[in-house]
Amino acid sequence: MPGKLKKILGGLALLAVLLVLPHLLEFHHQDLLIFLTINVLVVSSYRLVTLTGEWSLIHAVMMGVGGYTATLLFKNLELGMWFTLPLAGVVAAMVAGLLCFPLFRMTQFYFLIGSFAAGEAIRLCWIEFVNPFGGTGGLSGVEPPLIGGIDFLEPVPYFYLTLAVVGLCLLILYRIEKSRIGLTLHSVHWKAPLAESVGVDTWRYRALAFIIGSFFVGIAGGLKVHYLGTITPNQFGVGFMVFILIWVIVGGYNRFYGPIIGVVVLTLFDESIRSFDEVRPAIYGAVLILSILFLPMGLESLPARMRQWMGRASAAASSRMTDG
Amino acid sequence: MSFSRRDILRASIAGAFAAGASTLPTRLLAANNTAKIGMNIPMTGDYAPWGLPGLYGCQIVADDINAAGGVKIGGDSYNIELVAYDHGYDTEKAVQGYKKLVLQDKVKMVMMLGGSTVASVLPWAERRKMLTTTLLPSDITPDSDYLIATCESHPLYNVTGVEYLAEKFPQAKTAAIVTNNDAEYGLQSAATYKAAFEVAGIDVIDVNLHGFDITDFAPIVSSVLAKKPDIFCMATSFYVTPLMEQLFHQGYQGKIISCTLDYYDEIIAKTSREFVDGTIFQFPDFDDPMLNQPGVNFPNPGDFDAKFRKAHPNDWSAVSWEYPAILLNWIEGAKAAGSVEPTAVLKALKSAKNPEFVFGEGRWWGSQLWGKDNAVVGRWPVVVVEGGKARIKEYRSVSGWLDKHKDVLIKHMKELGLRTV
Amino acid sequence: MELVLLSIINGLIQGGFFALFAVGLVLIFGVMGVVNFAHGELVMVGAYTIWLVHAQNGLGYIPTLILAILLVTIIGLLMERFLFRPTRNDPLAGLICSIGVLFVLQVAATLVGGEGPSKQVPPPFHGTLVLFDFLRIPYQRLFGLGISALALVALWYFLTRTRFGWALRAVALDRDAAALQGININQISMIAIGVGAALAGLAGGLMAPLTNINPHMGHNVIITAFIVTIVGGVGSLSGAVYAAIIYALFHTFVTVYFGGTVATICGLILMVVVLIVRPAGIMGVRVSE
Repeated sequence: MPGKLKKILGGLALLAVLLVLPHLLEFHHQDLLIFLTINVLVVSSYRLVTLTGEWSLIHAVMMGVGGYTATLLFKNLELGMWFTLPLAGVVAAMVAGLLCFPLFRMTQFYFLIGSFAAGEAIRLCWIEFVNPFGGTGGLSGVEPPLIGGIDFLEPVPYFYLTLAVVGLCLLILYRIEKSRIGLTLHSVHWKAPLAESVGVDTWRYRALAFIIGSFFVGIAGGLKVHYLGTITPNQFGVGFMVFILIWVIVGGYNRFYGPIIGVVVLTLFDESIRSFDEVRPAIYGAVLILSILFLPMGLESLPARMRQWMGRASAAASSRMTDG
Repeated sequence: MSFSRRDILRASIAGAFAAGASTLPTRLLAANNTAKIGMNIPMTGDYAPWGLPGLYGCQIVADDINAAGGVKIGGDSYNIELVAYDHGYDTEKAVQGYKKLVLQDKVKMVMMLGGSTVASVLPWAERRKMLTTTLLPSDITPDSDYLIATCESHPLYNVTGVEYLAEKFPQAKTAAIVTNNDAEYGLQSAATYKAAFEVAGIDVIDVNLHGFDITDFAPIVSSVLAKKPDIFCMATSFYVTPLMEQLFHQGYQGKIISCTLDYYDEIIAKTSREFVDGTIFQFPDFDDPMLNQPGVNFPNPGDFDAKFRKAHPNDWSAVSWEYPAILLNWIEGAKAAGSVEPTAVLKALKSAKNPEFVFGEGRWWGSQLWGKDNAVVGRWPVVVVEGGKARIKEYRSVSGWLDKHKDVLIKHMKELGLRTV
Repeated sequence: MELVLLSIINGLIQGGFFALFAVGLVLIFGVMGVVNFAHGELVMVGAYTIWLVHAQNGLGYIPTLILAILLVTIIGLLMERFLFRPTRNDPLAGLICSIGVLFVLQVAATLVGGEGPSKQVPPPFHGTLVLFDFLRIPYQRLFGLGISALALVALWYFLTRTRFGWALRAVALDRDAAALQGININQISMIAIGVGAALAGLAGGLMAPLTNINPHMGHNVIITAFIVTIVGGVGSLSGAVYAAIIYALFHTFVTVYFGGTVATICGLILMVVVLIVRPAGIMGVRVSE
């Protein structure tokens, strides 16, 4: 079968599975599916940011910026989801744009710490300024729409909605990566001096990746708050940021689908150890350490490594046969 | 609700206590239906003291009821079964827990702590018509039909402590309030204390708000004491212990009033008995003889206290008896309704002009402040530490204060940016 | 006036603690090039040790303090040997590993202490020093300040007057050159993290009777340590000490007049400003990117 046809059929099969899936699950797992889909957008948008080789620690807070924007717009201006979602993305992108100026004067270690500090400062502002952000208790009362008799508070309709929005965003992210912009980002990552020598303004491209990544994670924040109904500062703290890192690192970030694999596998894994609730963070910590030490290229590299390993095994076997 | 049903309930529980619970024929227990009651509470994390002890208390009460043969509701006998879910005060988990309790465990009522965790489950709970209880009446909204607050009326009861203080210590003229800066607990409490102080003619010279990440209370206490208040008011109970320590070390000698004083033995250990004596707060120990007065609607408080301390020696907190009181209140409602179904029980409870309230004189209240009369207010004890032990000094009427001064309260709530109708 | 003086003293006491854990972080980063995100949890382990062994089981405070230091040092050495050494050439990987340790230690604390309200340790030194009628400082705090100062002096002596100290500074300056000179990088790394962890454990033990002990107390510690480290200058130990004292005074004063959260926000903004304007910090050496 020609390659392109295979891909299309594969995509359709996946789509069919996704459409049927929520009906097969109990409510509790339906919720999980919705959050998983949202997190797929979170990690994919993070990957765009890391394409330039810089790892920021502010991504989780950007999701919160989108979420708070959606919440405030919904509660104060009574805008529906059609408006709050894109505006959530836009505001997150604008905040990211402003932060580019201070943050991108630093690289590597300093950028990491600086982005962490900026994110934490924003989060503390949500806590400190009870008006309008609600303080530690956050804000509540956000609801999804009621369109033509379909109540989107129900998990199944909301899942389809989320699937559609996330699917569209992923499509756009993928196209960006494959485009000239994406290729330039790669060059900034791997060969910054060389890129600069041909006139690439690395600052602009880093900023672009950061802003676009923040735009999409802002939308993810809006999606989350419209389902959950409440938003609190603790949802976007170090804990969640670390999860994002774990998903991206364990899944691998050299390919577009790497982080997606990471978030799906680890979320399923997380569900399976739900009974060990107390020790779950420790298990995550152990998973993180083990994957850094033993699988540094992530899960996405497994197929390639397995082929490699099998290739070696069969070569060894055949050499034994010829020897013997 | 008639007097006689309450007496029968009390008598049967008392009988169970006396007889020592375990001698009922299993055939009798097996014939009972089960009414499942959900508890969607924090059992771990910072808020655990306001969740877990409630579960322990309810277990004691439920065990006693079941041992006495269960409750008769609408002609059937029911055993009470508690199903608890730990959300650790995380709103996502609270939603998941709530759905699990309703859809999977099929509970008839969900008890919760309050705050953002309740807000997150409300839309879903209302659509499913599930009866939910909270300890924070400020969770009530004009649209929350199925949310009731039948025991704790935080922070309204704080006015009783201030009234008592003003009466017994008229020479105290200035007060400083220290609390957390969150809208659900700290600010609500602060607004109430401000209103109460204003009504009592006491001047509030400082309101000091701090976050949850504070580890060093020395600068806060120094800053407040520099203003020389006659009264130091702690409107939060997350950090009572370190605040008391600082007051002790910095030589404070004025009056101290607080909403809660959890684990006051620890506080005494870290400061001194003389220092802690005289502190006014709002939560009694249940071996207090004042609880045996008529008008108090809790069966055998002394036995409850003893059983609790025996099973969980270090876990008594303000909520240990509050969740059980809500449970008992629900049982009364179910009996009146002749059914355990949420809509019927809610209707029965709301239709009572004088709802049963743990300290007596209960009244439905709340529409002036939160849009719906879904909170029960009544009398509340004023507790003072004497000789190292918490002692109820008297009961005062919260509803009486509210009738006279609710406008002052509304004014202060608006000032602090809290939601009022 | 009294408030100002009291705040200065409180600030200095806090500064002592900040210096202890900031210096540890700088030592580890300077010598090993890795950011130890679990540094706050090391402090937490020190505090929990005091709670478990001294408050719950009755062993004396001073022996428990020594035990806490030893325990945290061992954890640090294990981290070096099994996590930081294999990832020596990839500092990001080392950082991620330290995040893993952060989680493991937090869960360990939860298992040891149970969940629930923060733990309290009654101060082993009772009483309050009263100066000039209005200045009241509990002896427990003075003890903390005194020991912090002693530890920092001992560290200074170690770094400037002993062979190991010189070797540490050499590795921090230029690892390859130091290796060429025959300095054993493995050994020096272990000493660096050993000392850094010991200081963290000491800080935790000193802070235990003065603060709320819970599995998340490390969060504030690491934020403070980052701020102090950056402001003081990433490579500079003396910079970290000065910055610790200055930041502690700043934080204390802002807390008194505006509240703790505002103080931390200002601290973080200050840190970002320093990163922009003078990334080398107050005392750091110019680092080329």
